[in-house]
Amino acid sequence: MSTVTVTESPSDALVEIRDLVIGIQRTRADRLILVDSADFDIRRGEILGLVGESGSGKTMVCRSLIGTLKRRSATIFGGTIMFDGMDLAKIDERRWRSVRGNRIGYVPQSALTGPNPVMTIGGQLVEAVRCNRNRTERDARKRAMELLDLVHIRRPEVVYDQYPFQLSGGMRQRVMIAAALAQDPDIILADEPTTGLDVTVQAEIMKLLREIRTEFNMSVVLVSHDLALIDEVCDRLVVMHGGTCVEVGSVEAVARNPRHPYTIALNRARIELAAPGSELMTIRGNPPGVGEWPSGCRFCERCEFAQDDCRVGASPPLLEVEPEHWSACIHASLLGAASE
Amino acid sequence: MSVSMPPADVTDVAAESTQDGPRPQPVWERILRRTGRAVIVAFWVMVVAFMLIRLAPGDPVSAALGGEASPETVAALRTQLGLDVDPITQFWKYVWAFTQGDLGTSLLSGVPVTEMLKTNLPVTLWLIGLTVTMTMIISIPLAVFIALVRIPALPYVFRTLTAIGLALPSFLVALLLLYQFGLIWGIAPIFGYEPGFPANLHYLWLPALVNCVVLVPVLSRVLYSSILDTLDEEFVETGVIRGVKSYRFFWFYVLRPSLAPTVVLLSYMMGVMVGSTVILESIFALPGIGRELVTAVNMRDYPVVQGIILVFGILVVFLSLLGDIVASILDPRVKLT
Repeated sequence: MSTVTVTESPSDALVEIRDLVIGIQRTRADRLILVDSADFDIRRGEILGLVGESGSGKTMVCRSLIGTLKRRSATIFGGTIMFDGMDLAKIDERRWRSVRGNRIGYVPQSALTGPNPVMTIGGQLVEAVRCNRNRTERDARKRAMELLDLVHIRRPEVVYDQYPFQLSGGMRQRVMIAAALAQDPDIILADEPTTGLDVTVQAEIMKLLREIRTEFNMSVVLVSHDLALIDEVCDRLVVMHGGTCVEVGSVEAVARNPRHPYTIALNRARIELAAPGSELMTIRGNPPGVGEWPSGCRFCERCEFAQDDCRVGASPPLLEVEPEHWSACIHASLLGAASE
Repeated sequence: MSVSMPPADVTDVAAESTQDGPRPQPVWERILRRTGRAVIVAFWVMVVAFMLIRLAPGDPVSAALGGEASPETVAALRTQLGLDVDPITQFWKYVWAFTQGDLGTSLLSGVPVTEMLKTNLPVTLWLIGLTVTMTMIISIPLAVFIALVRIPALPYVFRTLTAIGLALPSFLVALLLLYQFGLIWGIAPIFGYEPGFPANLHYLWLPALVNCVVLVPVLSRVLYSSILDTLDEEFVETGVIRGVKSYRFFWFYVLRPSLAPTVVLLSYMMGVMVGSTVILESIFALPGIGRELVTAVNMRDYPVVQGIILVFGILVVFLSLLGDIVASILDPRVKLT
């Protein structure tokens, strides 16, 4: 675990995640660590992309922000998540109730199973509007209609009385975004919100998230394994690998001028950037299994630049390689030239 | 028995419609169509009831009169029963009479079958109604408790006990309970019946409990596994994050999305249970139509047998109709086709 703290400017940070460690307590002595020293900020009004392969811990970090780790039998073992003077890593269930949904909204992963199948769209939106707020039924109904309009649902008065199974996947996901907006949160968390949707619908959902950010100056955290999809919409990126953050910075910096071999490899593997006729690059090997992380840098087994000093010691911490751009590679300074 | 019961007609949630898709079909229209289908099935039940009695070995007339009746008597009875014309005509006469509320007359007592049903059918209906009520009252809290209270050993105990309950034949359960509750503890009447609510409940609760011994294990297991499946669904997490109040959460996010398969299954199981009332009514000496059927079959009282088979058939059709309608109201994903 890293002991060096990242120094992001705290000025416009809405949420500050520091040294977050998440894992599963299997027996009294046996802990399975899933996320280890996650370090990043969520800034006001930004769209932050959380990118990584399956098992990189991005979903766990996301769950820790809405306090539903326990449903997956995981626990926070260390670190802090500072939000509005509260440490979300330590607050109890009772206080979570005032944060979840109200302050931090959530758009579920699957559009197909996200909405409640036995409630009408209107019923769910009214419920979301009225949770934790005193509003009359009529008021809430009016607000629900506004929300449907806001997420560009055509004929909201028809959709209002429909059940989720009567809507297409894209519409269901719009409804879920509307429901997340219903409680006027400061942050919207979207965990792979376009899973199972086709490409054009994916693009529309991304566009909608960007619109919402602009209109309400909300922060949006977008979790995805698809770098190509999210670097279009995001302002900043957090790249995760093997349960840690390996690179943090603006989209321009991280996607165009990556300073970590993993990000470089991710970029090379992008199909739309590959020259026609050339062989598509893939990343060597498999992501390190949870709990089987190598010593030193967790990417060293797959890294084409790996040196002997990469394989020893603890997982390297994030270091600022240029202003507003952090990398966890100890040879980051050399990579600036290498990636050109 | 495994818990993999058929999960009713729940669609795989893949039905999609575009933004300009058709308006949803109104609930009443779906119910009407499903009812129309039930009526058609009921008609086929009539056909079967009619044919069964004619395909069964033995001639109703000689069975009723014995071998030594004079040809005149036989001919007279054939005319009286309407057996002197061809089967197709007989059938349409039978359907016509049915629409007039006439199911024929008992050969033995000369009482119209409809009169017999008027006294006997309520007993059976009360037994079925009480069974459904008791089964639900026991199964739902039981399944919810096992699913929500996370005690590691509990599901194993639950599975073992329900497996035992499933394996017991109901006539044996009936005799054991009758012995225990009726003779040893003396808190239930051993036989007899008294019409009218609530006096009849005193005589019906023990037979209904016997049915529960078979039904509760099946239903609580199905409901238990549906609740577990529901809890794994993403919308439950959405509800938690939204901060839905606990009573609303329990109904809209846990129980209601899980109930449909159980309700459909219960309605079908009740159809099966209609058959087992024949045994129970005999054991508990209840004057229901099941016991009447046994007597009528033994006595070759054909109009009565035909009438009761028809009523049983219609009852089964009606119960499954009711189950499907309730399930589709609870969970709109259930198709009423």
